[in-house]
Amino acid sequence: MRTALLILLMATPALAHHAFNAEFDANKPVKFKGTVTKMLWVNPHAWIYVDVKKPDGTVEEWMVETGTPNTLLRRGLTKESLKEGTEITVDGYQSKDGSRRANGRDLTLPDGRTLFLGSSGTGAPSEKKK
Amino acid sequence: MLFLRRTIPFLCVAAAGVAALIAFASSSLVGQTRASSAPQMPSAYRAPRLADGHPDLNGIWQAFVTANWNLEDHDAQPGPHPELSGAYGAGPAGQSVIEGGEIPYRPQALAKRNANFQNRLKVDVSNDKTWHALGDPEAKCYMPGVPRATYMPFPFQIVQGTSQYVLFAYEFTSATRIVRMNWQQEAPVDSWMGWSRGRWDGDTLVVDVTGQREETWFDRAGNFHSDALHVVERYTPASPYHLIYEATIEDSKVFTRPWKIRFPLYRRMETNVQLLEFKCVPFTEELLFGKFRKQAAR
Amino acid sequence: MRHPVLSTVAGVALAAVVGLVMPTAGQAPKPAPAAKTAKPYNAPKTPWGDPDLQGVWNDATSTPLQRPANVGEKGVLSDEEAEEFQASLAHDLTRDRRDGGNAADVNRAYNEHWMDARRLKITADKRTSLIVDPVDGRIPALAKLPPDRDTVRAQRAEGAKRFAAGLPDDFTDMSWPVRCVVRTDVPPYLPTIYNNNFQIFQSPGYVTIAPEMIHSARIIPVDGRPHLHKSLRQWLGDTRGRWEGSTLVVETTNFRLDEGVLFQNANPATFKITERFTRVAPDAINYEFTMEDPTTWSRPWTALIPWNKVDPDEQMFEYACHEDNFDIVHFLTGARLREKKGER
Repeated sequence: MRTALLILLMATPALAHHAFNAEFDANKPVKFKGTVTKMLWVNPHAWIYVDVKKPDGTVEEWMVETGTPNTLLRRGLTKESLKEGTEITVDGYQSKDGSRRANGRDLTLPDGRTLFLGSSGTGAPSEKKK
Repeated sequence: MLFLRRTIPFLCVAAAGVAALIAFASSSLVGQTRASSAPQMPSAYRAPRLADGHPDLNGIWQAFVTANWNLEDHDAQPGPHPELSGAYGAGPAGQSVIEGGEIPYRPQALAKRNANFQNRLKVDVSNDKTWHALGDPEAKCYMPGVPRATYMPFPFQIVQGTSQYVLFAYEFTSATRIVRMNWQQEAPVDSWMGWSRGRWDGDTLVVDVTGQREETWFDRAGNFHSDALHVVERYTPASPYHLIYEATIEDSKVFTRPWKIRFPLYRRMETNVQLLEFKCVPFTEELLFGKFRKQAAR
Repeated sequence: MRHPVLSTVAGVALAAVVGLVMPTAGQAPKPAPAAKTAKPYNAPKTPWGDPDLQGVWNDATSTPLQRPANVGEKGVLSDEEAEEFQASLAHDLTRDRRDGGNAADVNRAYNEHWMDARRLKITADKRTSLIVDPVDGRIPALAKLPPDRDTVRAQRAEGAKRFAAGLPDDFTDMSWPVRCVVRTDVPPYLPTIYNNNFQIFQSPGYVTIAPEMIHSARIIPVDGRPHLHKSLRQWLGDTRGRWEGSTLVVETTNFRLDEGVLFQNANPATFKITERFTRVAPDAINYEFTMEDPTTWSRPWTALIPWNKVDPDEQMFEYACHEDNFDIVHFLTGARLREKKGER
């Protein structure tokens, strides 16, 4: 019970950012590998579209919800930072309504590196200003 | 005596006629044009300076053209639902703010502009992939982008100090954009209000805007652009109460050449005038999301 | 073995979230000193003579708003205690944990690097709460609500329950932040999980604070003009500022009367907030706010949050919200689908 409250450990009740278990089902964990077809660098959530090839050869499209892109932009990442065709593993939870949407709980590249953990270049805007 | 009684009226009429002739001659095309009695902009206005020597553009400004209805020439028109709103919501007539009058569309692009107009109040957000396909973004309370934010029928405020940032704050949906002065970095992502980089050209603030979301429209007539949009704005102080605004619009995917709009911006002069809120998101939720609510059980 | 602070921090956090009152300890508490510098900092001035607060600032911290019960009366920790405090908070807050079962895990949402890393650090002055007054570091007791506000409050709570269960009836069951009407831009400015950035612009006669979420600018006249008339009300209220020495004192009134906008659902008709901004170092501003609403709290209370300068290394970016808020539709269509399947 206590651990479920940990997420609410913020000083900001007024910013009732939605509890993710309102949309994603703790009882429907998913883990799959797929190919990125595009990423929407938008707020309030960025979305990664992933094509997942099933054993029978058909392709399923999944939409993976992620956080605010602004955090990544501040580290020097840009809309070019996730190329179409990149293979990623999505470890998350499926949408409660059973649609092919998932919470991107943990996103990794084939070599095990966490997606977007680093930055491309140093990213310091001071290098790019006047 | 009788002669005089008959001729004086004649002479009066004749004198009036001669006077009219003289007046006509003085304003005729043949001679000089009589100057309009309306005041003109000062021919060489020098705005007061901030401490860094640049013109002070601080203030609350507003456009009074009807470009938000249509950048091109437009007649008065009924609103989208005259059967509901009568003259409320009807559109005024307006003269084009475009140099040359018309937007130089590529021929195939014009069909999309017309379709936009037909669908300006249709919305369908049931599918993420087609979320933005229909409807004027203004009606959905989306940030209008540049240059539309400049000629929305709402004021905006320029907040200019002596740092390398100038803030533009728009009353419409409390949209803001930061103009970064003399900035090299390119837009890392697209944004609704674009990526603005400024510099001074004499007394003119020049703002280069790239990285705009392709979903914004220029006006309610459905005039649109692609993700290749590039806008260069010029703000030139013309009097203590006016800026002259120009914007050059370039988008080779949609237009055959760059084109330019131009109109004055007027300083709001009311005592203690301030930007108020037009947080319109709540005005759009029924339109966008009403159909997804739980229906009452039969 | 877990640190004793850890076991109560979550409880206090829950209290903060639902606005319950934590019972105060029996003995008289020691006062928590306000953050102080070695000698007063002589802040630079703008060319027109106002103290210079300009820049991009970040207010993220793990220091909780209210003092956790297990630090007793301590307002400020020793270096060693502070290290432990920070470590246990960071352990609670980090999103890179996967333990605690799926219910906890799904709510952590994403990897830690999507969040603001500064929110794992306590404030440099090692206080145990952001609240400095009352001296026990806790929000004062809540006043009893009159029946009409109680009813409205209860209705909103019902809607929030439906939403938390993933079965909202309507967009009105969602909070104003979820609906992208307001987010961290309603004062007081409180740290959150990301985008804890504010850019301050100054021009003659104004100080302007632009929070990142949601893109609105608070353009504050400092020329002594009166507030808007009380019949003109705004989501972010109406703000007026004045300089007291090198402190910008800001008062905000005229909040709209909608429920659920203000902190702890304070009453917009009687709520007043006073904020103070003081540059205390080249890279630090002290942000202090006092909350007053006799129909919500038994007495005014004050918190102090340090702001850290982050430019030129970090910038503000646009935070559009409503424009691509696909989740509103996901929540509603998802609920309708599940209702059809008989889930309720």
